[in-house]
Amino acid sequence: MNYKTETADGTTKVELSGRFTFGDHSSFRKLIEEIRPHGSDTYVLDVAGVEFIDSAGLGMLLLARDEGEKTNTSVVIRGAQGQVKRMLEVARFDTLFKLED
Amino acid sequence: MTAGKESRTAHSVAIAQSLAQSDIDALLASSALWDAPDRVSVKSVTGQTPEDFSHNRRFSVCFLPSGVGREWLGGLTRLDCDTFVECSSEIDFADLAPLIPTNGGRSHALSVCMSTRSAYHLPVARKFVTALRHRGLIAEKIAATVEMAVQEAFANSLIHGNLELDTSGHLSMDSFTELGEETKRRLASSKHGARVILLTARRKKNGHIVITVNDQGNGFTPPSDSCSTAVAGRKTTFGRGLPLIKSLCHSVSFSRSGRSIELQFDQDKADLLTTSDIFVSELDGNKDQAPDTDIRNPQNATILIADDTMLSREIIASYLRSDGFTNLVFAKDGEDALDQVKIHNPDLIILDIIMPKLDGYGVCKAIRANPDYAETPIIAQTALEENEGRTRIFDDGATDLILKPLNKAELIARTRIHLENRLLVKQLQAYQERTRSELTMARDMQENLNPTPENYRGTGIDYGLRISATFQMSSELGGDMWGLMPIDEHRLGVYIVDFAGHGLGAALNTFRLHSLIWSDQLHDREPGEYLENLNRHLKGLLPIGQYATMLYGIIDRVESKFTYASAACTSPVLGNSLTGQARYLDGSGVPLGVVRNARYETREVPFTGANFLLLYSDALIETTLDDGQFLSEEKLLSMLRETIIESKSEIDLAAQIADQFMDRAPAQLADDFTIVSLQSTPIPCAI
Repeated sequence: MNYKTETADGTTKVELSGRFTFGDHSSFRKLIEEIRPHGSDTYVLDVAGVEFIDSAGLGMLLLARDEGEKTNTSVVIRGAQGQVKRMLEVARFDTLFKLED
Repeated sequence: MTAGKESRTAHSVAIAQSLAQSDIDALLASSALWDAPDRVSVKSVTGQTPEDFSHNRRFSVCFLPSGVGREWLGGLTRLDCDTFVECSSEIDFADLAPLIPTNGGRSHALSVCMSTRSAYHLPVARKFVTALRHRGLIAEKIAATVEMAVQEAFANSLIHGNLELDTSGHLSMDSFTELGEETKRRLASSKHGARVILLTARRKKNGHIVITVNDQGNGFTPPSDSCSTAVAGRKTTFGRGLPLIKSLCHSVSFSRSGRSIELQFDQDKADLLTTSDIFVSELDGNKDQAPDTDIRNPQNATILIADDTMLSREIIASYLRSDGFTNLVFAKDGEDALDQVKIHNPDLIILDIIMPKLDGYGVCKAIRANPDYAETPIIAQTALEENEGRTRIFDDGATDLILKPLNKAELIARTRIHLENRLLVKQLQAYQERTRSELTMARDMQENLNPTPENYRGTGIDYGLRISATFQMSSELGGDMWGLMPIDEHRLGVYIVDFAGHGLGAALNTFRLHSLIWSDQLHDREPGEYLENLNRHLKGLLPIGQYATMLYGIIDRVESKFTYASAACTSPVLGNSLTGQARYLDGSGVPLGVVRNARYETREVPFTGANFLLLYSDALIETTLDDGQFLSEEKLLSMLRETIIESKSEIDLAAQIADQFMDRAPAQLADDFTIVSLQSTPIPCAI
């Protein structure tokens, strides 16, 4: 998994790409450490470029949500497609996140 | 070496070059592979990457290098081999041995065995499923589901099984961080990191595919079936694996005290057919019951007479009986005809066009929609004399037409001729088998037009380049070709060609062009002038309407530039090997063989020690991928960028891109696929 972050007007946008699976432990931790100091109101996780996610990847999205809750930052998941969209639906992530197209 | 009373079984083994001979010998002598290694004789072939092994050679087993990398994982789709095993002195296969079942054992269609340390960082589940798809073991349409399930089972076995990590419950960021550190420690340790994970797949008689994932952990007690299979919820951060697997498979079971999980996938036959046509799927289901018709003698043939008037049926029957045909079956309307086809699988059908329920046109169409009945002769009998009806019945699949009122001699003559034709068709199919083997030879010859891996790697080193290439021919002969032409010490010419169409014609054209390219010694001309010259020669050789796209370029290491000319070739990609940033170069130009005096512009771009160049045939960007779309220009660039950023060590760019393409492309490519990368190596060549 690769990512790119961009912060403007209190929103941190993270573009994720590639495969997001259990092996992406350290890159995900790096990502959280990177965006934490931004102090944004909203994290937008743009997953349009993610082609595959497994349940560990879902778990990591939940961790991002927990991280956000600590600082009252809302987390939005944007642009899920194909298999990623299917996984988010199966795990009922619509009840946990704000999902955007 | 082959001494011994009993004959030994011979096995070819593909071996990664980087392996130590002592480790190879140890693995071969152990009982990890075969339960009686002394009864096996081994012929080993080594290669630096999977590309080095011949596409046409069959291997019993492939030894992956210790610390398997992505390039070797790509071997799963490229090698004709069913067993892949990491060779490392640290590994103890224990009760998972022998990996290759001997007679009596259930043989695997594919098995992959590697250490936890290697597997953790690789997309094993994805490659495994891609390989099954390319081997025709799973249908394209269930591949995505299978991949999700295998990924979860694989992750569970690796993390909970082999690494014994506990991820239950709700995790905080701190415990997540701690988990990451612990994962690293355990991967490095011999106890956990060297444990193996084994994936196997086999196909059951009923068509179901069974995939097992086996680990060497402590095992666990599988939850009872009554437990919830709900995937949703936030109580757990990572505990979705098993419920998810259950929701994706036909059935799940455990063995080896929970250290093996077996997933079954139902390749619903109806899924493989067009479900809209009920008749076809019904026929398919009844195929086994249909009598096996081996008609050596036309008189034994089963003939179906479909006609709505009893009198007509009786007349036809009496004519046929008088000539010795006694296996007659009857249908009184169109639907009945389809039922009778299903029950009797006739060798010939005499079909009336105007019938109740379903007319002759409909019957023809339905029969031809099933591949099993594609060759069954159908004689349509009709009173229709107008052309329209005749044309239509032929369009719908009738073999022949006979006019009412029937003439006895004509009916018998036509019946005989079509039954004999059917026998001939069967013989023709045998002939086609032979032709196919000759085509295989032609394919080999065509593949040999391209440089071999040793050849292009070696040439690359001379010019300070890391060169990688992947070539996959379409199901038929194709028209792709590429090559390298050393000009002098610091200039290397490179070309890539794609002839329009495929099949024998295109293949012959590649031979023509290949000999033209290599007979002309003036390679150091400007690329534009070179293509103009080549085009003039080729135009004289090619029949009207046949043409090729081509790019010819020269990498100059002293002047640090790439000059090239293109005849409608796909746009080459020039990129930076460190940042992964890349852009398309102009590939426009007239195709070769279209006009005699075509002009080609020589274009020039800087090419330094930090650059790479990617050339490819249009199959890369014109194949419909799993998302129903072509690989867009933008997507190819981002794929290149990500591949470069993700790979910490040096990589073969073309092989990596080809692997990612194969993951998403259909198993049978409609066109030849060629991709070539030329990467400047970090240290400039010493002169």
